Amino acid sequence: MAEFKMFEGCMIGNRIPFIEASCRKVFDKLGIATSQAPFSCCPDPTGFANFDNDGWLAVGARNLALAESEGKDIISLCNGCSNTLKLVNHTLKHDSFKKDKINAELAKIGKEYKGTIDVKHFVSVLKGELEKIKSSTVKPLSGLKVACHPGCHYMRPSEVMETDDPMHPIDLKEIVTACGATVVDYGEEVLCCGSSVSNAYEDHGMAILKKKMDAVKKAGADCLVVNCPACFQQFDGKQRDLSKKFEEEFKIPILYISELIALGMGIPADELGTKFHRTRVSDILEKIG
Amino acid sequence: MATDFEFRKQVLDMHMSGVIKYCYQCNRCTDYCPVAEVTDNAYNPRQNILNALLGFKDAIFSAEKIAIWGCTVCDTCDEVCPQNIELTEIFKLLKNHSVASGDAPDFYYLQAKTIFENAKAVPSQPAIERRREQLGLPAVAAPDINELTTLLKNMGIDKKLKGE
Repeated sequence: MAEFKMFEGCMIGNRIPFIEASCRKVFDKLGIATSQAPFSCCPDPTGFANFDNDGWLAVGARNLALAESEGKDIISLCNGCSNTLKLVNHTLKHDSFKKDKINAELAKIGKEYKGTIDVKHFVSVLKGELEKIKSSTVKPLSGLKVACHPGCHYMRPSEVMETDDPMHPIDLKEIVTACGATVVDYGEEVLCCGSSVSNAYEDHGMAILKKKMDAVKKAGADCLVVNCPACFQQFDGKQRDLSKKFEEEFKIPILYISELIALGMGIPADELGTKFHRTRVSDILEKIG
Repeated sequence: MATDFEFRKQVLDMHMSGVIKYCYQCNRCTDYCPVAEVTDNAYNPRQNILNALLGFKDAIFSAEKIAIWGCTVCDTCDEVCPQNIELTEIFKLLKNHSVASGDAPDFYYLQAKTIFENAKAVPSQPAIERRREQLGLPAVAAPDINELTTLLKNMGIDKKLKGE
């Protein structure tokens, strides 16, 4: 497999780097090679795109140009980043008027967008490595009941993301199954985590989060597995506030899919930095043993 | 209610194929919208599409902010629309207008300012840099802040920021 440019994104790189740690360890085991580049913010498809569309296209195109200059595809660890980079790539490939406009701006800083590379979400890459994941799993996760939350921007908008079924996603479930764990259906797999609306309307985000966590709890899942840092922060970081607000215990451990795979590979939790999770994962670690 | 034809043209231009014209107000977008559900339709994507298509600019922008900014950008409406209308693209146009008028929620100005000044929405900080080291991670490759700021300034983005 050719080397990818690693796009860890601002949230993972500069706030919850333990997620990058598990991703890098899993990539190493599976033979997925990466290298760094001085990428800026992707920028946020739910924030900056809504601030100024052309500015968002230009910043995204500049990031793509950095990877293009090395002729390498991007691997993203984040739904938001892969959503932005894929949307920008798609828009500029299909709209020559926009492409010329953005390239006129990029020319002033000595850059050019050509449209010569692809952007991959790391889950799509892992989906192509199911056999390798199976054979590298040394610790059986059998009996672990896992609820899956691929997150909106992993597969929507489907014409651009071209990853999974937009309303009945299976990629994440297949990876969880390859690890030997048991997927638990909870009926709200494609419901948004509520992160984006929380930026302006916290209460509405919490109401959506409640609906999600109620369903996960009712299904009897041992943990909820995610592949987006914004969703992770919403589920992991806001769970305590949710419990306070609704006077109800949830205590649902949140794992990034890379953490679940790494645990199955026998990589010690210490090396993954699971202690930095806000919602304790010790019950899971005990169960895995 | 008056139609603003310039605004209506911008809305129609969002879809080269003109699919928005085929909206027949079936309400599937609102039925599936997670925010409409928890706000008793205070956020209502169907209403936004109707007003946008008719060019009712005043109706859109004089309403409560949540009428535009309640969108959680989950793209569910895009997927369930029987006419393949990319609703989220239209909503982005509405939000861009709201930002330019200075009426968007504070978060959006703050995030844009952070990106403008740091080239990252979440800037690097010493405590996390140390944590990266402890986890055996390489330092994040530092972005060229100067270049990014220049790019955004050339495009006039700095004039949309607040407190500048």
